[in-house]
Amino acid sequence: MSTTHSANLERSLLLIPLPLLLVVFYLLPFLGVVGWSFTLPEPGIEQYQRIATDPAIHDMLWRTLRLCLTVSTLALVIGYLLAYCWVFSPPFWQRMVEICIFIPFWISVLVRAFGWLIALRSNGVLNGGLMDLGLIDSPLQLTRNETGVVIGMLHFMVPYALFPLLSSMRQLDQRVLLASRGLGAGALRTFWQVLLPQTVPGLLGAFIMVFVFCLGFFITPVLLGGGQTVMIAEYVFLQMFQTSNWGLGAALSVVLLALVSALIWVLLRITRVNRLVG
Amino acid sequence: MSQEHQRDCIEVLIEKARNGQINRRTFIQAMGLLAAAPLAMRSGISWAADSKPLVVVNWGGDALDAFRRAWTDSFSQSTGIQVRIDGAGPTEGAIRSQLASGKPSWDVVDVDSYSAMTLGRDKILQPLDYNVIQRGQVTSGLAHDYGIAGYLFSYVMAWDSEQFGDQGPTSWADFWNVEKFPGKRTLYKWMNGMLEAALLADGVPAGQLYPLDVPRALRKIDEIKPHVLSFWSSGAESQQLMIEGEVSMGAIWSTRAKLLAEDSEGRIRWGYDNAFLNASSWAVLSDNPAGSQEAMRFIQHALQPEGQLKLFELLGNGPSNGATQKLMTAEQREADCASEENFKKQIFLNTEWYADHYATTLEQYLTHLSK
Repeated sequence: MSTTHSANLERSLLLIPLPLLLVVFYLLPFLGVVGWSFTLPEPGIEQYQRIATDPAIHDMLWRTLRLCLTVSTLALVIGYLLAYCWVFSPPFWQRMVEICIFIPFWISVLVRAFGWLIALRSNGVLNGGLMDLGLIDSPLQLTRNETGVVIGMLHFMVPYALFPLLSSMRQLDQRVLLASRGLGAGALRTFWQVLLPQTVPGLLGAFIMVFVFCLGFFITPVLLGGGQTVMIAEYVFLQMFQTSNWGLGAALSVVLLALVSALIWVLLRITRVNRLVG
Repeated sequence: MSQEHQRDCIEVLIEKARNGQINRRTFIQAMGLLAAAPLAMRSGISWAADSKPLVVVNWGGDALDAFRRAWTDSFSQSTGIQVRIDGAGPTEGAIRSQLASGKPSWDVVDVDSYSAMTLGRDKILQPLDYNVIQRGQVTSGLAHDYGIAGYLFSYVMAWDSEQFGDQGPTSWADFWNVEKFPGKRTLYKWMNGMLEAALLADGVPAGQLYPLDVPRALRKIDEIKPHVLSFWSSGAESQQLMIEGEVSMGAIWSTRAKLLAEDSEGRIRWGYDNAFLNASSWAVLSDNPAGSQEAMRFIQHALQPEGQLKLFELLGNGPSNGATQKLMTAEQREADCASEENFKKQIFLNTEWYADHYATTLEQYLTHLSK
């Protein structure tokens, strides 16, 4: 008893630096940012009022949320299919899926954005190929707009959606699925009533991760958005570095953090409830 | 070791130190090895910027090496002050955060003239010492209390002759005319010159541009927006859009236009007519770590024609010191945005207007782009 106790103590001592590190390098500077949001350029809640009322900021926030939601949803669907393939395929196909996921995963976000720019531009590989095949007459506008941003972000986010899904699917007792089929349920019914409900925690976990990641995207929208797809990260950068409006930049950061925290809290609640029900 | 030789070594070291070829630390270490530490103390060499090199901040890329070759190597050699070039990009916010941190690590920055003015008013920059810097070396209007032009550059109209043959656009009204000149366009994301272009296209005479009628300019920008493929934010991006033929016309930097004309063997054409000239200024941070005098001396050095010509040859930036023209060939003068001939064709961006309105107008402009 006493040995386990002291082992626990040692373990907690080892963990102390972690919260300390968070406080010193994250919490304290962030409190400084919170301070700016209430004091720059003048003390007051002027910046938050502006966020609440300025239609230009609403446009930007709405665009950010819309893009993040689109990307998260698509990433979840693709991630789910990939995870399904991985879990239920023979080893050869498992390797293939892994290769297709890991190789791009290690390539920098900047290189990938340029890659998409080259592949998707009007006289690029894709448009050229489609035109040669006679499928389209004039090049599709696939980049330097929101479509381009979604494609670029999605490419980056799929692996992040995949990992939580994989772990939840691997934990699944596959005999349950066999039992479902054995008892007469069709493939679709087995999917909707047996497989999907059991992977909901994984789905929600993946969604949180992807959505929160998406909110912070910077390079991809800047490069693939044609200068017209300003999302919140770039907007904050703009306030901090181009227009010297630190108060607004800080207030937006606070709003972003609040949004992310609320989202995580809500989704954590849902997953917990779900586990109880399950 | 013979005493004579040792004395000679000491002399060599002192000489080198005087010329700034070695820094204080190396000097003291070497003198220590020669057991001449007391002599080292009395050598009377001034170590102005010594362990703290003068940090000159620019926008990185090719400019790192070009600044070194045009200005900093020769400056270190003649003064013994070591210089480090930092390509971090001295945006207004970055300069402010240097000061806000309480321990600035930058000395001299290469900023837009209007930024120098804005930051100077807020005491982020220190007033230039015009006893050290000879104000008269640059054309009047290019120097103010907190900034003096280091070089000039221009926003020009470039177009693809493959699309329009020899009948290319000649005015900003043509740039806006997508019926006569079809094809996509590219404009500058950070606004400079674009409102002016819109107003000229809308029929405002060049002499009456300032103060800019921002709402009118934005309405005109909205008009062209459906035909803008991309609002470029880096020179490389503008170059890529033009060379790939993705756009038929662009408002881009003269330096890039020059490269484009060369790379495309004349397919991309451009000129200085109705272009917008802008100056990049030298400015010095308040309480700069390497010392005020050193910074001022560097700026004075960087205004000299030889270095300015070198920068023009390396990057194509126009010299701010008119005397540089005399060192140029006729061909160079033709390409120089700041030459007397080209100066007349262009419109100089109004520094005061930008200092007063840049931040608020940029926000409106970007809002219009992303609508």
